[in-house]
Amino acid sequence: MESSLGEQLATLLGESAVLPGDGYEVDGLTPQAVVRPVDRLQLAEVLRWSSSEGVGILPRGGGTRTWLGNVPRKADVVLDMGAFDRVLDYQPADMTATVEAGVNLASLQEHLAPGGEFVPLEAAQASRSTVGGILSVGTGGPLSYAYGLPREWLIGIGVMSPKGVSTKAGGKVVKNVTGYDLNKLYTGSLGTLGVIVEASFKLLPNNPNSGMLLASFPSLAASISAGRKLLHSPAAPMGCHSVTSGISRRLQDSVQAASQDLGLGEEETALSFAFYSGRAQATKRRMDEAAALLLAEGANAVQRIDDSAADGMLRWFTDAPAEISPSSVLAIKVSVQSKSAARTSAECGEILVSGEKPELMADPGFGSIRLFWPPSTEGPSDIEQPILDAVQQTRQIAGRYGGTAVVEHCPLPVKRQIDVWGDAPDSMAVMQGIKDRFDPNGILNPGRFLGGI
Amino acid sequence: MLPPGPMSRFLDQAKAVVGAENVIHEPEDLLVFEYDGSVDRGLPGAVVFPISVEEVSQIMALAYAESLRVVGRGAGTGLSGGAISSPGGVQIAFTRMHNILDVDTENRTATVEPGVINLDLDTYAHRFGLRYAPDPSSQKACSLGGNIAENAGGPHCLAYGTTTNHVLGMEVVLEDGAVVNLGSLARETVGYDLRGVFTGSEGTFGIATKIAVRLLPVPEAVRTFLGIFLDVETACTAVSAVIEHGIVPAALEMIDALTIQAVQKVNDAGYPDDAGAVLLIELEGLQDEVDEIGEEVEAALWETGASQVRTAEAAAEREQLWVGRKGALGALGSIAPNYFLVDGVVPRTQLAPVLGRVADVSRKYNIPIANVFHAGDGNLHPCLLFDERQPGALDKIVEAGTEVLQICVDAGGTLTGEHGVGLEKKEQMPMVFSKDDMAAMVLVRDAFAPDNSLNPGKIFPDGKKHTPHAHPPAHGMPA
Repeated sequence: MESSLGEQLATLLGESAVLPGDGYEVDGLTPQAVVRPVDRLQLAEVLRWSSSEGVGILPRGGGTRTWLGNVPRKADVVLDMGAFDRVLDYQPADMTATVEAGVNLASLQEHLAPGGEFVPLEAAQASRSTVGGILSVGTGGPLSYAYGLPREWLIGIGVMSPKGVSTKAGGKVVKNVTGYDLNKLYTGSLGTLGVIVEASFKLLPNNPNSGMLLASFPSLAASISAGRKLLHSPAAPMGCHSVTSGISRRLQDSVQAASQDLGLGEEETALSFAFYSGRAQATKRRMDEAAALLLAEGANAVQRIDDSAADGMLRWFTDAPAEISPSSVLAIKVSVQSKSAARTSAECGEILVSGEKPELMADPGFGSIRLFWPPSTEGPSDIEQPILDAVQQTRQIAGRYGGTAVVEHCPLPVKRQIDVWGDAPDSMAVMQGIKDRFDPNGILNPGRFLGGI
Repeated sequence: MLPPGPMSRFLDQAKAVVGAENVIHEPEDLLVFEYDGSVDRGLPGAVVFPISVEEVSQIMALAYAESLRVVGRGAGTGLSGGAISSPGGVQIAFTRMHNILDVDTENRTATVEPGVINLDLDTYAHRFGLRYAPDPSSQKACSLGGNIAENAGGPHCLAYGTTTNHVLGMEVVLEDGAVVNLGSLARETVGYDLRGVFTGSEGTFGIATKIAVRLLPVPEAVRTFLGIFLDVETACTAVSAVIEHGIVPAALEMIDALTIQAVQKVNDAGYPDDAGAVLLIELEGLQDEVDEIGEEVEAALWETGASQVRTAEAAAEREQLWVGRKGALGALGSIAPNYFLVDGVVPRTQLAPVLGRVADVSRKYNIPIANVFHAGDGNLHPCLLFDERQPGALDKIVEAGTEVLQICVDAGGTLTGEHGVGLEKKEQMPMVFSKDDMAAMVLVRDAFAPDNSLNPGKIFPDGKKHTPHAHPPAHGMPA
């Protein structure tokens, strides 16, 4: 009789490196085993074995975003990178750091804090989200307008190929054009090209002061319009967001004190958030000018929140999308040209799923809009077609404004019918060509990425 | 008349596509296209000047059908041999595709043709209160297409990042003439970040025919500080002091004593005779930020031993402070007819010791080395000064240059910060990357260009010794 995958892995790495797959379901599939290599040698062995046996591997960091991506074609073994958790090098005067992929973001920031620096990555559940996971997903957070995406900060990477070969690209210096920039290729590739083992980042100095403005507006459209004006003024914040009342009510639970006098009772009330940080004098001036601008643009009220309260609000904002998604019947992230954020929000805001409009979180500076349709009372089979229709309509609107729409959460039967990433672009053949060359046996996250990669 | 063959068939058809007046193939006309800013040379078989993506696509399909090698050429200002043609290959020059197609002030983006000059885009954007941040020293001449190929940098990349942080999307033609779009005007796209990996691929993946970039708002205030120091070591401590204050200036540049002498000979920048290093720091932002941080910068310069500190905020006065730095490479001509620029990068903290070792190389080979560099991001530019007419001079320069690169790599750095590997440094790649590292890179090239017909022979070592001196100079006096 053939031995199970778990047994084979135990033979390979020892019993202690292998766990049962229960509790590690991905899109309804339970892996046969979870393997936790402790070093590069073990990692290479696992991958060589997987490639030769055609075993589907799902690399995993903190497991905070396993819901992202298509339903895997196969989910044989989860590869837990948690043992790769060392900060390898940190030179405050160079403003660079090199870490292993399993280091979580919160502990990395703690490590950098005594040096007066931080890495401008943003991720929900920072105490669980790992560097490897953040890079694989490649997305940013509430301050993307200021910091961009993880791609901007990664300067070097160490990767284990599906055949167990260790490779690197970039380096430890902040400016580097030596060889192709594979940092960019791996970032956002959802672990489909290789397993990220270590990464080097350029860092920024900590900002001494932070603060935020919270403003209520009679409508989402008014909030976004004011946000756009603010972003294009000298008082521009690091990030500016507009949310609908349903999102505000969730926030209210977290920050009651702050939201008392903002008129959140009104059904159509929308909130604007503007995050600031920097030198004291400049931050104060920006916030003063911004408050005046928001009021002039029709805000009902503007509230100023300083320091730790503002930091707490930023954390709430970073975590919110991932918390709201699972309780939604459908959650979509739309990315468009920033100038189209208002129109995209207005049009997508009218799309109904079983009679309900979505709640919205819009970032009119970066051009991303999150849509959350509330849970439905209809039966699972009745809701499928309305969800598929809503996905289709959202994609048409996103496409019209030069963008894309990624389905971040939907019922599994719907997920099985769609590509959550959307339609394949005209460069799909090149992408597929890269995947076929990097992972010829198709073992890494099979089927989870765009176009079935 | 060319003998019948691939090139002759290509020329006939290429003339039909772009018009005979836009194809050059006579040897005497080709000479000017055989070199770029580097010491390398390679005579193309033809240079074609297309005017549209359709023409580029057809030209590349024709070349592909005839198995001819193709290289794109912007302004030829790269210093690594990136735009040098394979001997007998086809060069596609973008001087006719020089239109700024769109500046979108609401979206803060610009869409341009690849032949647009970097500074022209920046100047045009300023009309709308916007700017294009990457500013290579050659920005008056270099093109956006070339900037993408090399992932060009510049002094202000310290705060704003290099070209790759500003490119949003591009339309590119692949080796067989297929046209694909990478990235988009939206900040986030789905799938692999092909525009990211394309940027800096030195013309080996495809040729960009349309480029979309981000524009940033022009800052409210800019202040430039010029500090004069007795030597480079002391100036480096000033760099550290500024960084330790949690300050990332917009630019942080340095020139050394030999460069100062050259500058003073050509264009009096007002540097004292005994100046051993000049440090330039530029701050940008709100007036409040520039004022507050400016005080700290000025204090740091004095505390670390500056003998003079000058500051300016008005544009014309700031320009005056920059004169020496911007004219530095040109001024080196007053010391020697040629310079060989080494583009190594080191961690910031290694600047002073590495410059000391570079000085050792200068003594060992008896080659004057002038340093003009981006101190903020550790990107050195030791310029090895020589006269290419002296027998064996180039050999010695290449050897000394390689030694400088080894010093950079040993200090935890790398071969090139902004100029690319090209022909010049391909044999040094193993100093930094293993065979496996390079094999992974080649896999990406194979996916874009399976026939490797675009700018072949660049970036990766092929065992063919790089012998720039084998080609006679196209200009200058006989030795």
